[in-house]
Amino acid sequence: MAKGLMLLSVVVATLYVSQGSTSENQRLFNNAVIRVQHLHQLAAKMITEFEERLLPDERRQLSKIFPLSFCNSDSIEAPTGKDETQKSSVLQLLYISYRLIESWEHPSRNLGNLNQITEKLADLKLGISVLIDGCQDGQLTVNDVNDSLPLPFEDFYQTLGGKHLRKSNKVETYLRVANCRRSLDSNCTL
Amino acid sequence: MGISSGPKPFLTVGVLFILLSPATGFSAPGRPRVINCRSPEKETFTCWWEPGDDGGLPTTYALYYRLEGSETIYECPDYKTAGENSCFFSKNDTSLWVDYNISVVASNDMGKSVSEPVEVDVVYIVQPNTPESVMVSVLEDNHGPYLRVDWEKPQSADTRSGWITLVYQLRVKQAKDETWEEYDAGMQKYYNVFSPHSGKEYMVQVRCKPDHGFWSEWTTPVYIQMPDYMPKVRSMWIMVAVISAFLILLFAWTMNVKQNSVKHCLLPPVPGPKIQGFDQQLLKNGKSEEMFNALVIPGFPPTSTYEDLLVEYLEVYDDEKRELVLNEKNLIEGSMKSKSTSSDNDSGRGSCDSRTLLMEKCVDESGTEQELSQYGEASWASSDSEGRDNPASPGLEDGKVQMWPSVFSSPQSHNFQQQHPGGLRASHHSVPEISCVSPQVQTCCGQQDQLEGFQFSKPGLYRYAQMYSMDTIECKHVAQEPQSQSQSQSQSAEYVEVQTVNQENVLLVTPLSNPEGPNPELSDFSGEDYSKVRDVTSDNVLLLQRDLSVSQFVGDYCQDQIGQVDPCFLQQQQQEQTCKLNAHLHHPASALQEDMRLAGNGYVDTTMMMS
Repeated sequence: MAKGLMLLSVVVATLYVSQGSTSENQRLFNNAVIRVQHLHQLAAKMITEFEERLLPDERRQLSKIFPLSFCNSDSIEAPTGKDETQKSSVLQLLYISYRLIESWEHPSRNLGNLNQITEKLADLKLGISVLIDGCQDGQLTVNDVNDSLPLPFEDFYQTLGGKHLRKSNKVETYLRVANCRRSLDSNCTL
Repeated sequence: MGISSGPKPFLTVGVLFILLSPATGFSAPGRPRVINCRSPEKETFTCWWEPGDDGGLPTTYALYYRLEGSETIYECPDYKTAGENSCFFSKNDTSLWVDYNISVVASNDMGKSVSEPVEVDVVYIVQPNTPESVMVSVLEDNHGPYLRVDWEKPQSADTRSGWITLVYQLRVKQAKDETWEEYDAGMQKYYNVFSPHSGKEYMVQVRCKPDHGFWSEWTTPVYIQMPDYMPKVRSMWIMVAVISAFLILLFAWTMNVKQNSVKHCLLPPVPGPKIQGFDQQLLKNGKSEEMFNALVIPGFPPTSTYEDLLVEYLEVYDDEKRELVLNEKNLIEGSMKSKSTSSDNDSGRGSCDSRTLLMEKCVDESGTEQELSQYGEASWASSDSEGRDNPASPGLEDGKVQMWPSVFSSPQSHNFQQQHPGGLRASHHSVPEISCVSPQVQTCCGQQDQLEGFQFSKPGLYRYAQMYSMDTIECKHVAQEPQSQSQSQSQSAEYVEVQTVNQENVLLVTPLSNPEGPNPELSDFSGEDYSKVRDVTSDNVLLLQRDLSVSQFVGDYCQDQIGQVDPCFLQQQQQEQTCKLNAHLHHPASALQEDMRLAGNGYVDTTMMMS
């Protein structure tokens, strides 16, 4: 009898704790989504300013001068559609997001700290890592994601270009999906 | 599929067409243009193009695309779903975060042309469908009615899984207005529009946008009719306005009714001058004479009793060393002096109010009543003559009685009368003459012809004539008593009291020493009489002397000029004693000094000082 009661109390406590952690996770998730959204807007602004300075001829040549094939983010396998994204787990999504942010953070550090992007990327990376740690409690680690080391050097213009913008968009999408899947957030309801 | 192979037949045909086209008017198609590519839900997308000139020949169009990082060219999988000149990319054909390189080729028998390539990333061309199920209703709360707008998300957008995030916007306007009011609703699917105008028709529209994308189209407008209503606040104000209007009307009517009393209250009538007998009508009529005659009041100025006499003092004293002093005090001076010595009833004006006449006792002369009757005139005349010598008597005019009215005209008589109730009542009175009736005076009065005789050469005979051009003018003469040998060196005087003026205009006087004195006016002077000014010392001290003739007076009193009563009782009435009184003209005094003389009824005669 006493043991039963003790077990019940432990379970209830665990539930509370988990709910507490869940709420904390929820808060972190929301925070991460907001941060990514901000980063995305920042990148869009940077691109716009950069392109405005280019001559019209150069704009047309931009994609040719800086081929997108050099974008190393292609090595990171990421879902490119909704279905793929839905099939990925939260942890996978978090991990991918983490990688994407990391691949953005390194070049931005080399280029100087435009609009304090480096710090923001670092903060976001930290938050995602925390989320990953939270998700990894009692869960399997991500195995099917190919870890590829980011190249130490990335093209300057691609850093400023659409790639990072795209990256931020990707991360934003992934985090939102992961967030909605984890919780019954009002943003995700019909 | 890619572009068909085998350029040779094409070239041949093309050349032929080119050679023959001038004749036939056919040409290669113009260059098409990719207008638009849109994705409604971030899962599929559609591209539209605009065809160029077809060259007069049937032209076909084909869309080809290439993904970034790949050289493989693909053709549009679906030309139908999206309509004419469009290409629909299904979910399987759509890759996000990948650039599409899209171009359209137009071809006809004469040739073909390729459009400009377009780079498209599906994520950034998202334009959702319009929101659905827009509903507008009128609700009411404490502040009044308001509009509530509800809608649904577009069905195609998957916001539930978080794949896409939509924000909404609505706009409202009155049906007849031209400008819209836009409101941002965020991610919620309802909105409240407050304070709409009653009785008006409103139009509402909603649209949405993904976080990175384009705004959707506006929904079809929804019309709503506001009902007529009277807000509580407005009704309260209306009631307030009605009540205040009613009150204003009431007030105005009251004012109108009570016009006169209000006028009297606000603008009190200025009192006009009230002159008894003054008739404005007469003045207006222009008959000034009648008006002025009306002013004359019978019985004015009063002439009835002897108490209204204005008596002038004539002070004449005969001294070889001294000149005739005639001191006339005009009305103002006298009254001022009387006021300065206010506590003394007799101050300043001396015996004027006490109805005493200081009469000269003429020893060696005898006079008749007629002479006495003329004495007054003579006295006046003498005073007049003395007045000429003395510039201090401006009021005299030939000693005639006619001056009296001018003297009487002063209003101070009334004041004088009030201040000395016990004394001689002053009033405006025209006394034609004063007759000296006293036997003692007779002798003096008979000296009419000897005006200059007023300057008695006889020692010891002093005649003080003091002119008081005040309301009460008394004929005062200081006469030396023959009995007072001890006073030979001194000047003695006796005061007489004016009793009445008989019908023959004779002034009846009685000596003050008469125990049957008519009036107890001097009852307060029931002591010894220090009414004789004996001397004036060098340092402006008046020496008063007790009058032996008034031995019946028990007490004595001394008065200084400023009215301080210093009773000084003598033990022996029969004896001559001197009450010394220090009477300074300009300093308050309390000590007694010898040889002070009080004039008449206690007044200190300051004329001695002047001499």
